[in-house]
Amino acid sequence: MKWNVATKLGAGFGLALLIFVIVGIVSYQATVRLVDASEIRKHTYEVLEQLADLRLFLKEMELGQRNYVLMDDENDLESYQGALGKIEPTLERIRKLTQDNPHQQARLDKLEPLVKSRLDFSAQTINARRDKGMDAALQLIKSGTGTQLTDAIFKLLGEMDNEENELLEKRATAADADARHAEETIIYGTLAAFIFAAIAGFLITRNIAGPLGSLTAAADRITTGDLSAIPPQSARADEIGVLTRAFDRMIQSLRNMAGVAEQIAAGDLRVTVQPQSERDVLGHAFVRMSDNLRQQIGGLAESANVLGTSVTQIVAATSQLAAGATESATAVSETTTTVEEVRQTAQMASQKARAVADTAQKAVQISQTGAKSTEEVISGMKRIREQMEAIAGSMVRLSEQSQTIGQIIATVEDLAAQSNLLAVNAAIEAAKAGEQGKGFGVVAQEVKSLAEQSRQATNQVRTILTDIQKATTAAVMATEQGVKAVESGGRQTEAAGESIQILSGGVTEAAQAATQIAASSQQQLVGMDQVAVAMESIKQASTQNVASARQLESAARSIDELGRRLKQMTERYTL
Amino acid sequence: MKNAIIETAKTLRERARRLAQPPAQAPDAGSMLEVLEFRLAQERYAIETRFVQEVQPLRDLTPLPGTPSFVRGIVNLRGRILPVFDLKKFFDLPEQGITDLHQIVFVRAGEIELGLLADITVGVRHIPIGRLQPSLPTLTGIRAEYLQGVTDEPLIVLDLARILSDPKIVVEESAEILS
Repeated sequence: MKWNVATKLGAGFGLALLIFVIVGIVSYQATVRLVDASEIRKHTYEVLEQLADLRLFLKEMELGQRNYVLMDDENDLESYQGALGKIEPTLERIRKLTQDNPHQQARLDKLEPLVKSRLDFSAQTINARRDKGMDAALQLIKSGTGTQLTDAIFKLLGEMDNEENELLEKRATAADADARHAEETIIYGTLAAFIFAAIAGFLITRNIAGPLGSLTAAADRITTGDLSAIPPQSARADEIGVLTRAFDRMIQSLRNMAGVAEQIAAGDLRVTVQPQSERDVLGHAFVRMSDNLRQQIGGLAESANVLGTSVTQIVAATSQLAAGATESATAVSETTTTVEEVRQTAQMASQKARAVADTAQKAVQISQTGAKSTEEVISGMKRIREQMEAIAGSMVRLSEQSQTIGQIIATVEDLAAQSNLLAVNAAIEAAKAGEQGKGFGVVAQEVKSLAEQSRQATNQVRTILTDIQKATTAAVMATEQGVKAVESGGRQTEAAGESIQILSGGVTEAAQAATQIAASSQQQLVGMDQVAVAMESIKQASTQNVASARQLESAARSIDELGRRLKQMTERYTL
Repeated sequence: MKNAIIETAKTLRERARRLAQPPAQAPDAGSMLEVLEFRLAQERYAIETRFVQEVQPLRDLTPLPGTPSFVRGIVNLRGRILPVFDLKKFFDLPEQGITDLHQIVFVRAGEIELGLLADITVGVRHIPIGRLQPSLPTLTGIRAEYLQGVTDEPLIVLDLARILSDPKIVVEESAEILS
């Protein structure tokens, strides 16, 4: 295909147009034929009408003639005359209408003499009636000539009708065929034109829009910076091929520029850019850019060297400063802590001193109270001793009396034993007496029982007495111990009273001393508070110093780092 | 009125007669044994009262040298000098020493009259002869020989006639000296 795009478009749409033109012509011809056919049919209908009129007029004429013969009425003659007058023009019109048809002309040639004969016969009949009367007329009519002529005429007319009807039928068939033909031509022609136009459109679209689409995609990728986009290779000679090759060259040029920019970005400023033309804006801009960069980076490298040297010195100085500040801050902090500890110690001492002073005051009161109490205790102890002595005397008497009770009990026990023995002997005597001593035996048994009861009672009394004696003995001993304890308590109380008196004097002196210590300690505490506050201020100032020194140091290090990075950056460039 | 009183008294007497408990087996001289009960080292012993003369507290016991060990001494009972025997020695019962609290039961069988040392004299009582059983397994040797019977309490009734007729109680000075 060596056609260019315009040729392709022209060929495609021209072919479709041609088909439409053909379809138009065909439909126009078909329409003309239909109109003609319609005209001919109208003509034929007219001939038929005229033939019918002719029949009618002949009938009218005959009817008028007959009426006149029968009635001899002039009115009938007038209608006869009227019909007669119309027959001739009608015949002429039929002849004119059927000029193109030799068959009809031939029939007309036969018809005209027959009509003339008939008219002549009618005129003859009428004349006979008018001149010779009814009989002569009837004679003529009865001859039958009129009727024969009329039949011949109607027969011919019938043939002509048939002829025209046949023609009409033939023409209608032909018109139908024409119409169907035209319809088919229009339908198929339009269809063919549509299909052809569609195919041509599709082919052209594929042939042109496809390559243009891929070129547009490539352009889009270039717009987004993707220079690796390769346009579709095309050996086409048309405008698409030319556009593709131009695109290719543009991409090559952009790639060259990109390569140069890549080298500059990599730091190689030695590259020289050749502008493609006087109007190469990008190329000139690149040249100026690389020149300016070369100069600026040269200056930057020198500045960075100077900066690096200076900053190194600053860093060293600030480091020393920060170290010194930290050491002094540490020392100040330690001193502050120590002062704080001393202050707390002083505070505690003050508190303790106050507490001691209070305690000493209380102790003075307590010792005085103690002295009074001791005196009371001494007098109480004396009373207790007297009471204890009285108790001891009572206990001794009680003990003696219980001894006496014991003796009485022993006597009673002995009596009980003797009673018992007596009862036994009495029983033995009663036994010896036999039957007579039986009552005595019972008495002896009762006596024995009583003796037993007394023995048990004395046993109980003895048990109780023993308990009482034990308790009494214990009480006597306890009382004696109590007396001794009270005596020693009295002595100890007297000694304690003397000690408390001495202690009271000492405590009073100690209380005075404690009060003086508390006052001094309070003054000391106030002084220490002032020192602590001052040290706290110094510590804060020192901490701020350290922070400032650290910040200074870190700032210097940042600058140093910055200088180094600057140097590295400039070193990356090759001038 | 009078009749009514008599009637009431009659009725009451009749009722009393019906309610009265007849005395439990009136003591029969033939079936009952009258004994004096005493204690020796926590064991209960008894002898028939027909042998018993009297009971006295132990006083003024005079030991008699040259006699068997069961002869504790002699006492003066209202002018009569009588020997005192210790059945504990006789029966090999545990010895606890002699105190004032001991009593002497004076007994007599025929011509022989002597005192028996008792820890405690309980009293005179009657026991049915039917309740006496021949012996106890714990009583052996010489005690079984002198045994008249044992009640179920147990009360050991000694046969005093046999004891006093035993030739062992005869003190033969010459033989004692010789031995």
